[in-house]
Amino acid sequence: MLTYLRKRIVSSALPLVVVVIGVFALARMTGNPASLYLPLNATEQMREDFATRNGLDQPLLVQMADYFGGVLQLDFGTSLRTGESAAAMALRAFPATLQLALTTMILAIVLAVIVGSWAALKPNGIADRIASFVSMAAASIPDFWLAIVGIWIFAISLGWLPTSGVVGAEAWILPIATLVMRPFGALVQVVRGAMVSALSEPYIKLARSKGASQKRVVTRHALRNAAAPALTVAGDLMVGLVNGAVVVETIFGWPGIGKLMIDSILQRDFAVLQAAVLLTAIAIFVLNILIDLAYALLDPRVRPASASARRKKAPARPAAPADPTPTATAQA
Amino acid sequence: MTFEPTSGSSEKTGSAKRRLALALTSAAVGSTMLLSGCAVANSENAEGSTAEASDTLRVVLQQEPPTLEPCESNLTSTGVIDRSTITEPLVERNPSTGELEPKLATEWSSEDDTTWTFKLREGVTFHDGSDFTAEDAAHTIERAVNSQLGCNVEGYVFGDDDLTVEVVDDTTLSVTAVGPDPILPLRLSFLEVVPSETSDTEKVREPIGTGPYKLDEWQAGQKITVSAYDGYWGEAPAFPKAEYQWRAEGTVRAAMVTSGEADIAMGLSPEDNIGDLGVPYPNNETVALRMHTDKPPFNDIRVRQAVNYAIDKEGIVASLYGGREKVAAQLVPEGIVGHNAGLEGWPFDLEQAKSLVAEAQADGVDTSAPISLIVRNAQFPKIQELGQVLQEQLKQAGLNVELKMLETSQHLQYQVRPFVEDEGAILHMTQHGNQAGDAAFTVDQYMLTDGAQSAFGTPELDAMIQEANAATGDERQSAFEEIFAYQNEEVVQFAHIMHQTGMIGKAETIDYEPNSSTGDELRLAEIKPAQ
Repeated sequence: MLTYLRKRIVSSALPLVVVVIGVFALARMTGNPASLYLPLNATEQMREDFATRNGLDQPLLVQMADYFGGVLQLDFGTSLRTGESAAAMALRAFPATLQLALTTMILAIVLAVIVGSWAALKPNGIADRIASFVSMAAASIPDFWLAIVGIWIFAISLGWLPTSGVVGAEAWILPIATLVMRPFGALVQVVRGAMVSALSEPYIKLARSKGASQKRVVTRHALRNAAAPALTVAGDLMVGLVNGAVVVETIFGWPGIGKLMIDSILQRDFAVLQAAVLLTAIAIFVLNILIDLAYALLDPRVRPASASARRKKAPARPAAPADPTPTATAQA
Repeated sequence: MTFEPTSGSSEKTGSAKRRLALALTSAAVGSTMLLSGCAVANSENAEGSTAEASDTLRVVLQQEPPTLEPCESNLTSTGVIDRSTITEPLVERNPSTGELEPKLATEWSSEDDTTWTFKLREGVTFHDGSDFTAEDAAHTIERAVNSQLGCNVEGYVFGDDDLTVEVVDDTTLSVTAVGPDPILPLRLSFLEVVPSETSDTEKVREPIGTGPYKLDEWQAGQKITVSAYDGYWGEAPAFPKAEYQWRAEGTVRAAMVTSGEADIAMGLSPEDNIGDLGVPYPNNETVALRMHTDKPPFNDIRVRQAVNYAIDKEGIVASLYGGREKVAAQLVPEGIVGHNAGLEGWPFDLEQAKSLVAEAQADGVDTSAPISLIVRNAQFPKIQELGQVLQEQLKQAGLNVELKMLETSQHLQYQVRPFVEDEGAILHMTQHGNQAGDAAFTVDQYMLTDGAQSAFGTPELDAMIQEANAATGDERQSAFEEIFAYQNEEVVQFAHIMHQTGMIGKAETIDYEPNSSTGDELRLAEIKPAQ
């Protein structure tokens, strides 16, 4: 396992560097930030001073070498916008996003397991149809719309919840309710598919024939085998949550990394953008390793050596049985 | 991936997995709680804000200020908090009357409009307890105007010219400009006074001022709190405490006022569902199109006139903006020194526009040349719809207009010199706010041949502007009036569309009348609980 971890870390370091170089170069191709930070009637001299002060007059490669030199000493640069350390800003924003994403994900998994298992007990029954409809709807509603409607109903009309903000437990409800919809919708489909497949396995029939109760069959046997594909999808969804809570963070004034990234892009605040991207990339990398480990441990059929390839095969739903009919080409 | 089938799960592995699942869940929940403890949730504050709601004024802004550095107060997001709340200038412009009023200076005078003498107020202290003297005022000017600090206010208000500052005695300050500058006191009203100890090589993020409120805490990402300063020289403000939060969405800011979470919401539009709690005010912003005359078809004045005729300004104001805005005939609205009340917006006359385009075409002007209509995303409400309407109306006049919606940074490359070059004809939508109250701040930038935001001028117009800048009183007023008339008749660089109104949301429990400077300078001391 340790060897696997070591390999995984080494093989992921390169993509991290590539991501940072990409962001570094692409950000600078979007234009000189001077126009955003200087008065509209700034003189040529003021522009030159600005470029010199911020090292923007150097060739791109020199800027990049300077940047990586700094990173090696844990100096990630200074924000053009606020004058603060870019690393401090990113580190301050990141926990806010992570705690929102984690709470959302835990809730999504619990709800999806309940609803998905319930639906799988009788495929195409009423429960299944309701679950299918609800989950499709949940996965398709745009965050933005849901957030605004949620505020309208629960904060303005009913006055039960605050419109936004981060102070107090009740401030968490609307952002989480908004964010949970998509992962919940997607996970219900996965859990249902995996459960339907697991419940038709011979060992379930065997367990049933031995007199195991329905509850025991579902919780002890089927769910365990359905957990692996659900975990794969949950991992990807979690990455999406960490990376993409921008809309929700913006609407609810949640001081997270998504909002920080968008603000940094719009403000051409290169150092903060790079720090935020690097931190997110590292987090996603760690998250992927954790998912791999959990996946390997939960499903004994998977060995760590093959875990990194899990994405290629782990089916969201069981693959259809191979069609025994020869194809037209084969016949010819 | 290769699956390696095992011979079924034994009871032993089952319990191991159960433990793992349990451990993973606890780790996730635990880390969430840990994170919430250190980062966001703070129930202590939640209770505090409820209990103190009655003596705390709650303001919600469009964005978190990047800094509260006083010399960056020209940035709306900084100035709206700093100006005349935390920090104060020597003199202050009354946004309703346009007159300059005493603030940290009680009187000022000049013999020749070049050297100005200010008598400073006595008994004023900074929030750190130190006395305010002429040294502080002098340092403020040196720091913001004459240093290498790169302050926003320097370029915006003072340009390249340095000022000579002399401390006559503790309460007398003398300031000399390079030449006659009749509006020097008005320019100085943009400088927020800081103590003489303030660094002039580094900007400060959290200011020490003399204002009615002192900064208590800036919880980055969450809120800024201020409280009334005990040692304030003037009248104590009505609210002992105030807090600023920020939300990007207008609908959310409006909802915070309607649901009682905030007392004042800035930067709203009626579309944000603010209802009767929305209070409109003239915000001195004007929307216009600027035509770059270096390429056809705008190199012919007839085409520029055609653009003016082709836009149905009345229709736009009525249908897109519910009749709230006013059709514009110049870059500054009523209330700004130099506004020409005699000018009327160009009449909407599509036939006239078509025939002017046809005439130009007959004389060899390439009127089919592509024109880029450059518009900034989300600059003001319904801007995208406005861009589409303009594109359609100009097409009807026979022009080949392509609408380009850009984000701020890209848009600025078209707005300010050096302009984007590798592009065809440019039609640039500009939103100009004159918060200084004097047309000099508009025409210098927008109409001089080499103005930062001007694409075209004439030597005659340049001479008129130089003359107007040095004039005073009625002469100044009429000199600028002439300039605006001249641009419409002889230059036609601009097609003016409308003067805008701003809107704030105001809870019923609050007594406050917004004015033309509210958007840039929300003076908390003027806000009181409703009787």
